[in-house]
Amino acid sequence: MEETNYTASSKIINYLILACLAVLFLIPIYFIVMTALKSNADLAKYPVYAFPEKLQWSNFSQAWAKMSIYIRNSMFISAVKVPIGILLEALAAYALTRMNFRWGNVLFGFFLIGMMVPFQATLVPLNMMINFFGLENTYPGVFIIYIGFGVPFGIMVLRGFLRSIPKELDESAFIDGCGELGKFFRIIVPIAMPAIATLIILDFLATWNEFLLAQIFITKDSMQPVTAGLLTFQGQHSSNYTLLSAAVLLSIIPILAVYLFFQKYFVAGMAGAVKG
Amino acid sequence: MKIKQWKPWAFVMPALLAYLVVIVAPSLYTLRLSFYNWNGIAATRKFVGLQNYRYLLSEDTVFRVALRNNIMWMIGSLTVIIGLGLMFALLLNRRLKGRSIFRSVFYFPYVLSGIIVALMWTWLYHPSKGFFNVVLEQLGLGAWAHAWLADPRTALAAVFVAGVWQGVGLPMVLFLAGLQTIPRDCYEAAIIDGAKPRQSFRYITVPLLSETFVIVFATTLVNAMKVYDIIYGMTAGGPAQSTQVLSSWMYYQTFKLNNIGAGSAISWVLVFITMIVIIPYVIYTNKKSHL
Repeated sequence: MEETNYTASSKIINYLILACLAVLFLIPIYFIVMTALKSNADLAKYPVYAFPEKLQWSNFSQAWAKMSIYIRNSMFISAVKVPIGILLEALAAYALTRMNFRWGNVLFGFFLIGMMVPFQATLVPLNMMINFFGLENTYPGVFIIYIGFGVPFGIMVLRGFLRSIPKELDESAFIDGCGELGKFFRIIVPIAMPAIATLIILDFLATWNEFLLAQIFITKDSMQPVTAGLLTFQGQHSSNYTLLSAAVLLSIIPILAVYLFFQKYFVAGMAGAVKG
Repeated sequence: MKIKQWKPWAFVMPALLAYLVVIVAPSLYTLRLSFYNWNGIAATRKFVGLQNYRYLLSEDTVFRVALRNNIMWMIGSLTVIIGLGLMFALLLNRRLKGRSIFRSVFYFPYVLSGIIVALMWTWLYHPSKGFFNVVLEQLGLGAWAHAWLADPRTALAAVFVAGVWQGVGLPMVLFLAGLQTIPRDCYEAAIIDGAKPRQSFRYITVPLLSETFVIVFATTLVNAMKVYDIIYGMTAGGPAQSTQVLSSWMYYQTFKLNNIGAGSAISWVLVFITMIVIIPYVIYTNKKSHL
């Protein structure tokens, strides 16, 4: 629907509406930034949306003391979970799309069903299992759970992409003497890199933002990721809004960086992922 | 090209194992637990059949509130979030300066965690210092100022507004992707035939977006059933249980009240409703991929 059937005035109206909406959308962010840069005295004296009299950077250093631990934990969890998870998902997606085998389609359907199981339905047995193996408050326990939950979505995304790679490539690789693993690592993985990159970003964000599982399985404060940690932090400073806002901003920065850096992949991937 | 039959299984096995251990076996075990009375600690559990489900449906008034809230959240998402998402996509589906900036602004909240959104918006709703009440007072509408999250009548709607802020980006992006697959020739032909913009929308855009609509509806419905983080972060189900949803009530029954049986039953009600939504979708996409 390009400009052909629109007049110049409709274009301006369109633009104005978008600008107003964008301003509305940015208000919460603006508000948090203004709060985080104020001293508590300033906050008490002036309306919240006003600019601070003097920038109060100490809010950030004070929040960083605690948030840096949570941010580091989140980074560590993502750095281990994302590559292992995607490797498993890619191997499975490869078999499901490129090795015609009995039960292949049934198996894919079986994996898809996992997308509709809410986390809640697994919590109690998982908790029992984790306790049984003595994995409470250990990272291996967290990794197993996070990796398992990533499987259905990851397979769905990668399968969509792997199906579009021509079969002839497999055959010529086979003739050249490639085994299945050789084909996977030397041909399929490099070709699938755009899809894998998309999945890396989606998976990173999903892991970074996960809250419910962290809330149940990581109760030790020093191990908590950003989401669960933020809530603990809020509990301790529930009326200190300048400090809380600084903490919120600190935890947004890594997401903002990833988002802006990979934005192109990201939006395309989100659309592509669901289209399969 | 013949592949030995064990090979595909070797490739699938690691993912399959993780999936079985973390999702399949535990959720089936939860189904089993939903037929028992158990406090999570005692060595013995009493088999009670469907009694937990009967209790939820007939006696647990909070369950009813939670179910109703999930349905309200669903209806709100289907109308407001999808409606706004489509509107944003249509506004952005034209060549215009700063298009990608606008898109980023509207999409960005979607990548934030529910907890961050919850903390931000709790502060915006603060009774005396929060953005909304301060602005209302400045506008001379101080009488409308309100403890939005503390009043059972407004709490759910207030949380939902934050949910809209967070959620609009997803349908917007999906609709934009869908709109870009519509060939421009269609519109040009329609203009030559004398179609007005509204007619182009009705007779070209909507039918050709039908696949996108299916995807958007399915994801929105599932997200509405699963909503948890934002509610837990903003109200934790209160005040007076007014914002309880199935997932938060499940958490509460299981981990605070130690009613493992009832909590398990709630989570299977959740599974069941989600399945009703998703199974037709899975069948639809599977059919499409076999064509």
